Amino acid sequence: MTDPLVVHTSELRKAYGAVDALRGLDLAVPAGSIFGFLGRNGAGKTTTLKVLLGMARPTAGQARVFGLDATDARASVTIRQRAAFVTEDKDLIEYMTVDEIVAFTTSFFPHWDRDLEARYRRRFDLRRDQRVRTLSRGARSKLALTLALCRGADLLLLDEPTSGLDPAAADEVLQAIVSHVAARPLTVLFSSHQLGEVDQIADHVAIIDAGRTVISRPLDDLRAGFCRIQIVFDGDAPAATFHAPGVERIRRNGRVLTLLASAGADAVISEARALEPVSIDVLPVTLKEIFLDAVRTED
Amino acid sequence: MWQKAWLETRWRFLIGLAVLVMLACGGVFEYPATARLLPAARSMQPDGGLVGRAIRDAIAIQSDYRGFIWWQWVRQNFTQLWSLFAILLGSGGLIGQGASGALFTLSMPVSRTKVIGVRAAVCFAELLILALVPSMLIPVLSPAIGESYPFRAAVVHALCMSVGGACIFSFALLMSTTFTDLWRPALVTCAIVIGLALVETALRQSGPYGLFAVMSGERYFREAAVPWAGLLISFGVAASLLYGAAGNLSQQDF
Repeated sequence: MTDPLVVHTSELRKAYGAVDALRGLDLAVPAGSIFGFLGRNGAGKTTTLKVLLGMARPTAGQARVFGLDATDARASVTIRQRAAFVTEDKDLIEYMTVDEIVAFTTSFFPHWDRDLEARYRRRFDLRRDQRVRTLSRGARSKLALTLALCRGADLLLLDEPTSGLDPAAADEVLQAIVSHVAARPLTVLFSSHQLGEVDQIADHVAIIDAGRTVISRPLDDLRAGFCRIQIVFDGDAPAATFHAPGVERIRRNGRVLTLLASAGADAVISEARALEPVSIDVLPVTLKEIFLDAVRTED
Repeated sequence: MWQKAWLETRWRFLIGLAVLVMLACGGVFEYPATARLLPAARSMQPDGGLVGRAIRDAIAIQSDYRGFIWWQWVRQNFTQLWSLFAILLGSGGLIGQGASGALFTLSMPVSRTKVIGVRAAVCFAELLILALVPSMLIPVLSPAIGESYPFRAAVVHALCMSVGGACIFSFALLMSTTFTDLWRPALVTCAIVIGLALVETALRQSGPYGLFAVMSGERYFREAAVPWAGLLISFGVAASLLYGAAGNLSQQDF
């Protein structure tokens, strides 16, 4: 993996009839990262993953994976040779047995890791002769993950990998992803509604809303940059405007003015002091608060 | 991909094979009873209209065993049922799987052209077997009723059926890349094929270029000449429809 960016989209647009699924999405996924891809239902996460794998054709803009044009049919085959995709519904071939679907997948990937396959089969308790259609949701997820992990892919695209799983199964799936990534150079782009999971395993985060990127940063930068500044006044809080960079939102509630800042607190505090407040407190914010704020801003 | 295509079509193929084999056997063993009725049939005096001419033609053709086999088996049961199974095999391709397996298949490092190409190749092979096996049973079983039927005629009729009828399969495949379910491609193709058959029956002078005349090898039966032109046209139409199906699939969003 010599490309600094494994996935790079620029002004990516996709319309399904009159519905705009993507409206100028910019995404840059660095090599070796675990990239959490967040957004509300219908924000365009699944469409983005499908465009990256050549399953959907963009209306405009660019999508490159491993430096290759994802919209080119021939390049798309090369991309899929190096990538694995687990769909939200864990779409698999229903009429096949576990053995048959493993054999089917193996036939496309010369670097299939048999030892790893055997380990995951044991770990996930996947029965060889069981039909895919009879698997529980948890077992389907584990089988889909096994098929994705054993092929020696450089990029994992996971669409809601733990959706519909109980906490134990979700944890098992997440642990498998993390331990797999720890053992080999691999980039993971995963969409999720579970902000706790993203917080737990991602090192980069992009939040998209209505088909556009709202925030895209390393998670540590996000945590360090975002904070809530609570300014308390003697009387009613003034209807102040702040000129400091990174003021995302201002809320006024009685004597309290609450600001969400995305570029640190120092500049905001300096500006707030001129308003002569009683107290100024800087509080950390969670990823959930950042997410909710980001998608609300775009409404 | 080859195994997947086989797994997806095997039951339609095996059922088709069983049905056609049973009908081929039935056709052979039905002949002695029909032969006994022929003198009585010849004494009939049908009127001079279209139906009357058709009856006279049928009686004349079936006056010997080879004519009976062509009229009863090749021209009717074989053509109709082979066409039906060509439609069923062509329907329900990649997107006919609906939500199940289509995205998984498309996430593999294989082009859509190859996906549909492999599917078409497997089905063509199955259709060739559906034409050859029952046809070859005719010369094999004929001695059991004291008759004989040339192997060459069986092979030519099987090839006429599979090459001539390939465009029916290709049209069904094209429809299955247009509609997402199994039944609409099958029903639309059935309607078109029935319509074609009615037009061809009405225009009996369509000659060797009529689809069903080519499929049944009528020219070979009547003149001992393989309908090369008709076969070539059918092959060309089938290839064009297949190309259209591949193009259709490559343009779709999943």
